[in-house]
Amino acid sequence: MIKKIVILTFVCCLVVIFTANCKPKAKTAPPPPPAKEQPKVEKVDEAPAVKKPAMTEEEIFMSKSLEEINLAAPLKMIFFDYDRYLIRDDAKPVLDANSGWLRKFSSAKILIEGHCDERGTEEYNLALGEKRAKSAFDYLVSLGISPQRIKFISYGKSQSLDNGHTEMAWQRNRRAQFLIIEK
Amino acid sequence: MIKPKPTIFVILSLTLTPVLFPQQEVYITLKEGVPAIGLALPNFISRSSSAGTREAAAELYQVVSDDLTYSRIFTLLPKKYYDYIRPLDSSNIYFKDWESIQANILFVGEVTESEGENIVFEGKLYDVKGARFISGKRYQASRNLCRLAAHRMADEIVKVLSGEKPIFTSKIVFVSDRDGNDELYMMDYDGQNQTRLTFNTIRDYTPAWSPDGKKIAYTSYKNLNAGLYILDLEAGKVSPVSTRGTNFSPSFSPDGKRLAFCSTMDGNTEIYVANSDGKNTKRLTFNEAIDSSPSWSPTNREITFISDRSGLGQPQVYIMDAEGSNVRRVSFGGTYHDAPAWSPSGDRIVYVSRVENIFDLYLLNLRNNQIVKLTESNARNESPSWSSDGRHIVFTSNLSGLLQLYAIDYDGANLRRLTSQGNNKLPDWSH
Repeated sequence: MIKKIVILTFVCCLVVIFTANCKPKAKTAPPPPPAKEQPKVEKVDEAPAVKKPAMTEEEIFMSKSLEEINLAAPLKMIFFDYDRYLIRDDAKPVLDANSGWLRKFSSAKILIEGHCDERGTEEYNLALGEKRAKSAFDYLVSLGISPQRIKFISYGKSQSLDNGHTEMAWQRNRRAQFLIIEK
Repeated sequence: MIKPKPTIFVILSLTLTPVLFPQQEVYITLKEGVPAIGLALPNFISRSSSAGTREAAAELYQVVSDDLTYSRIFTLLPKKYYDYIRPLDSSNIYFKDWESIQANILFVGEVTESEGENIVFEGKLYDVKGARFISGKRYQASRNLCRLAAHRMADEIVKVLSGEKPIFTSKIVFVSDRDGNDELYMMDYDGQNQTRLTFNTIRDYTPAWSPDGKKIAYTSYKNLNAGLYILDLEAGKVSPVSTRGTNFSPSFSPDGKRLAFCSTMDGNTEIYVANSDGKNTKRLTFNEAIDSSPSWSPTNREITFISDRSGLGQPQVYIMDAEGSNVRRVSFGGTYHDAPAWSPSGDRIVYVSRVENIFDLYLLNLRNNQIVKLTESNARNESPSWSSDGRHIVFTSNLSGLLQLYAIDYDGANLRRLTSQGNNKLPDWSH
């Protein structure tokens, strides 16, 4: 059956080709005169601007690098009394604000660094710095921040903010600092 | 080990408090040490006319002379005494001559050229009174290792004559920021050959030697975590001990079997002890206060440490058994003590005490509970570490502005500065 069809179409093709070749050649028609009218000028407009939806704070946050975020220091540091690691009253509003930020950017993870002034010994300051970082950690956790989002570390007196030897410099160095390590 | 009876101890300490604070004018004198032996150290003989050999002989002489002077075991005879007697003839020594200038011991050094850049350094010790040869030693070294050959010879002299463990080839490991970041360095005991050990951009801190001098335990702030690691110097390999929490102040037991350190792995600064390979960590202290700065007794059976359990922000020195039991306080008077280091002889603990923003080193004598102020400098002197012979202590001081390492003798003599580049701190002297 298929064979028949193939043969039939072959024959048909031959017939068609034959008849086409036999057709007397018709004179080719002259080309149409050039159009007198210019084509309409179509103004190319800019594609209609796609109005981007305004970026949410979260999106702005996600678009920045960790360095950029930390440079802006959205989490403020807190300060401690000489030889002490208890959270002072003036540090509480700062920690409250920091916890607000952590609630807003709920994916962010932070590192709390505890620091000391030069008037403690190297070894004891490593322990004291850790206590300071831990105090800040405990306070943030008490405000409902997940402990899984916070790491802490002590630098003792190895990273002074202020290299002076005055009460002001020492106060600036007795601190807990907040570093964003994941967003 | 000394176990002070608490009652007597308290009374003694109370009576001693005035000594510790208002005026600290107590100094130990050398009378309790070994009497210094008169040693004749004539210039070393150069057995070659080459300038190189003569220079080597002069360098070797200088190093041996400095080492033996530093030892506090010997008194080197003034060189001018040698002019009063016949010149040294190494093949025929006139012992009477040397006796006449009060030499007990005579050391004769000879330097010969050997193939290439090498020299051969031979030293002979003589007992002057007995007119006899005691012992000799011969070292071959390339020219650039002259200092080491000299230190070896000085070690040998001390070993033969005093039976003590010598310190001249010992090393001091420390932290320096001279290359921009806190890294580990080591140097010879005399401050020479300062060599960098760690090369990274993270902070390396609180190093401590293993007793065989092959490993260093230290804190490294890798991955935003202050972990404790062991650096194997020969293999160039670093292995972790504890990376949970903040870990610092490691201290190997003198038998090299265990490693004590501070860690916050359970939430608070406590003292832990692990096997020397870092495995099998056990907690020793259980107190809400800070417990830190462990240092072993030479018997391996006790650990001195500090704790502020008696008052927040007021660390005091304690001793406990190596298993964590039998804790007793040994510092009284004063409000801030840290970094205790147990002397190799076991009878003293050196520690830092803060009085009105000044840190000084103090020695607590465990035999009689006497406290002696070792430094008096109006500066911050801290992180003391003993030499293995118990005669010297290396420490950090800001005496000259930046933090530098200094060494001082156990009686306050021979203060000398060992570093000058950048800030240098947290020294540990190898044993």
